[in-house]
Amino acid sequence: MQEIMDANPYALEDGSHIAVIGGGPTGSFFSIFAMKMAKMIGEELNITIFEPKDFTKDGPGGCNRCGGVISELLVQTLAVEGINLPDSVVQKGINSYKLHTTNGSVSIGTPLFEKTIATVYRGVGPKGIMGKDKESFDNFLLNLAVKEGALHMPLRIDHVEYRNQKPVLFAKNKKIRDFDLVIGTFGVNSTAVKVFEGLGFGYKSPAITTAAIAEIGLDRDMISEYFGNSIHLFLLPIKDIKFAAMIPKGTYVTLCMLGKNVTAHMVNALLDHHVVKKVLPENYEINCRCLPKMNIGAPKVPFTDRIVMCGDAGSTRLFKDGLGAAYIMGKAAAKTAVFQGVSKEHFHKYYYPFYKSIIIDNYFGRFLYAMTEIYRKNKLLCKGMLNVVQKEQQNVHDRKRLSTIMWDIFTGNERYKNIFFRSLSLKMNIDLLKEFAKLSVRFY
Amino acid sequence: MTGINTECSFTNELIISNQGAIMKEGELGRVYSDGEIIFKEGETGNVMYVLQSGKVKITKKTASENITLAILESGEIFGEMALFDRLPRSATATALGNTRVLHIDKKKLFSTISRDPTLVFKVIETMSQRIRRLDEELTKVKKKKIDILHLSIDVDELCNLILEEARNVIASDNGSIMLFDDNRKLLSIKAAFGAESEPKTKLTIGKGIAGDVLKTGRAELVNNVTMDPRFIPGAMNVKSVLCVPLRYKGHNFGVINMSNSSEKLFTIDHLKLLHSLATYASFAMQNARNFSNLKIATDEVIRHATMLDML
Repeated sequence: MQEIMDANPYALEDGSHIAVIGGGPTGSFFSIFAMKMAKMIGEELNITIFEPKDFTKDGPGGCNRCGGVISELLVQTLAVEGINLPDSVVQKGINSYKLHTTNGSVSIGTPLFEKTIATVYRGVGPKGIMGKDKESFDNFLLNLAVKEGALHMPLRIDHVEYRNQKPVLFAKNKKIRDFDLVIGTFGVNSTAVKVFEGLGFGYKSPAITTAAIAEIGLDRDMISEYFGNSIHLFLLPIKDIKFAAMIPKGTYVTLCMLGKNVTAHMVNALLDHHVVKKVLPENYEINCRCLPKMNIGAPKVPFTDRIVMCGDAGSTRLFKDGLGAAYIMGKAAAKTAVFQGVSKEHFHKYYYPFYKSIIIDNYFGRFLYAMTEIYRKNKLLCKGMLNVVQKEQQNVHDRKRLSTIMWDIFTGNERYKNIFFRSLSLKMNIDLLKEFAKLSVRFY
Repeated sequence: MTGINTECSFTNELIISNQGAIMKEGELGRVYSDGEIIFKEGETGNVMYVLQSGKVKITKKTASENITLAILESGEIFGEMALFDRLPRSATATALGNTRVLHIDKKKLFSTISRDPTLVFKVIETMSQRIRRLDEELTKVKKKKIDILHLSIDVDELCNLILEEARNVIASDNGSIMLFDDNRKLLSIKAAFGAESEPKTKLTIGKGIAGDVLKTGRAELVNNVTMDPRFIPGAMNVKSVLCVPLRYKGHNFGVINMSNSSEKLFTIDHLKLLHSLATYASFAMQNARNFSNLKIATDEVIRHATMLDML
C-alpha cells in the first residue's frame, strides 16, 4: 500500500475535489462514506453530486425506475452503519414473501415475522401522489450525503475531457472545473453512458435487458387486505415471462416483470392469468407503466486514472438487490479513494476485487435462475418443490434448507454463490427426488 | 433463518406484534411494549439490536438492587458485547414505553464484516463512547469510595463496609473478611455474610486457601474448590472461591473471601475487580488501624499523665 502511495501523486488530500455523476443510491452511498472516512483521518473533501432529477417530484420526472425493495440484509447493514430508514421513507415494512405457482402458493416469512424488508419509491411515486407524507429513498440518501458535507448541483454533465491528467467536467457546454476524481454512478437509462464511452479509456455501456414496471392503484385498505405485509412472487408458465413480483406500497402495488423481449402487452397477459387474478381485487387501475433497462453484464473496463464507474454504470447484482450492490460498490469506491488512492492501479488492486466478485456471483445467479426456469416450466418439479417446502414447515426441527434457499433467491438476501453451494445439500436433494418420484407415480 | 407459512391472512394496514403493540405500515423491526424485557442478564446472546424508536433501559443486578447503567435513545446500538466477547449478556435491556427495535443476526453480521471490516467502525465508535462514559463514571465511583473509606476509622465498621461494597459489585452466596492477629498468629473473621458467618473459624498462616493467600500474597480464583488440596471442607457446600490479600507496604494483614455454593462460577474479571477493591480497602484498613493504635497510645499517655497527677 505504502509503496503505491509514495510512488505516485494519486492520493486524495485535504480539500481534494470529487465529482459524483448521478445522485442515486450509489452516488449518495459513495459520498456519505467518502466524507465519513476522510473525516476519520482528519481530511475534508469537496464532493459535488451532479444530479439533474428532482427526487421530490411525483411521476416520471423524479422516478429512478426500480422495484424499490430494500433487502433484509441491507436494512440491517444500514442500521449498523447508523442509517436507519424512517417510516416516512419506507412505504411498507415487509415480513414475508408469498410465492404463487399454478400448483399452489407458499408463504415464507422472517423469524417472528419481524418487518425487516422495506419497500420504497425511488422518486416520490406515481403522478398525483404528491402531498402524501412520504419521502423518496433517493432523496433521503441524497439529503444524508448533503448533511455529511457534499454539495448537490442539479446539472446534467454533457462532456468530460482530460486536461493536465485531470478530468474536466462540462455542463451546457460550459466548463465547471477539473476534479481529482470523477465517479460515474448513473443508471443504464442515463445519457451519461455515452459521455464516458467517448473518453476512450475502454469503458463500454453495460449489457442490458428490458424489464416492465407498472403501478397498480388500489385503496389502502384493499392493499392491506389482499397483500398484507407480503411481497407476492409469480412463477407461472406464461411464455417469455421469467418471473413477476407485486410489491405493496401505500396506495399502490408495484408490478415488476422480467422476461425475454418484455413488452407492455406482456403486463396484460400476466394480469389476465387466473393465478394472478386470485391475488388481485376485481377493480384496479394501472396508473403508470414503463419499460426500464436493467444491467445484466458489467463493463470490462470500469476505471482509469481519476475515473471510476460504480453501481448500475459498473457491476450490479443480477435481477435482485440492486440497492445492496449500490451500497457495496459505493463503499468500495469510497474506501479505495480515501484510504488508498485514485490511480488505475489503486482501483485495480482495491476496488476491482469487489467489482469482480459481483460478476462471478452473477454467474451462480444465472445458474440458479436457469434452475428456477426449469421448475417454472415443469408442473411435476414445481409441485414437488412446493410439497418439500410445506413439509419443511410442518417439521419444527427441520433446518428448512429449501425454504431458506427460496427466501434468499427471492429477497436477494444472500450471495448467489452461497445459495448455490447450499443447494447442493444431499438431504434436500434426496427429499426433492423422493417427492418427484411420488408425484411421477401419481401422474403416470 | 426463515419461518414459513402456507397461508396468508392479512387484515389491515396495522399489524399486531406478539406483544400487542401496534406498528404503522412504514415501520420496520419489532415493537416491545413498556416494561417488556428485550434480553436478560446471563442469557446467551446471538443477536445485536438497533433502537429505531422509543427508549431502552439497561440494568445490572447486584446483591441488593438493580442498578440502571444507561437509558438508550433512538439510533443507538445495544447488545453488541455478547456477540463480540461470546460471554453471557452482561446486563438486562428493558423497553421504556413502546419501543421499536431492529434485530441484527450474529451470523449475518459477522459474514458481512468478514467481507467489509469497515462495517465495525460504527460499532467501535459506539463502544468507544461507552468506555469513555464508563471511565468517567468509574472515576466518580472510585473517588466516592475512597472518600467513604478514608472517613471510616472503626476497623469492624470498615470491614462491614468493604464487604458490602464487594457484595454489590460481585454477586456471591457467601463472603468474609479475615484479619491476621500478630500476637496470636491467627487469621480470624471480622465481617461476613451468608454461610461463612461462622465467627469461630480461625486459621494459621499457610493453612487453607485463605491462609495460603495470606502467606503468598497472591489473589486466587478456584472454581473447582473440592479438588484443591488446600481446601478445608466445612459444614457448608462450597463450589467456587475468590480470595484476595489485604496488603500494606509489602505486609499481608488479612484476606477478602467470596464464595459460591451454587453452580455459578466466578470469572477472571471478578478476581480483578475484587483485587482492585482490596487495594483501596487495604489503605483504608491501615488508616483505621493506625488511627486505632494512635488512639490507644494517646489514651495510654493520658492515663499515665492522669496517674502521675494523682500521685
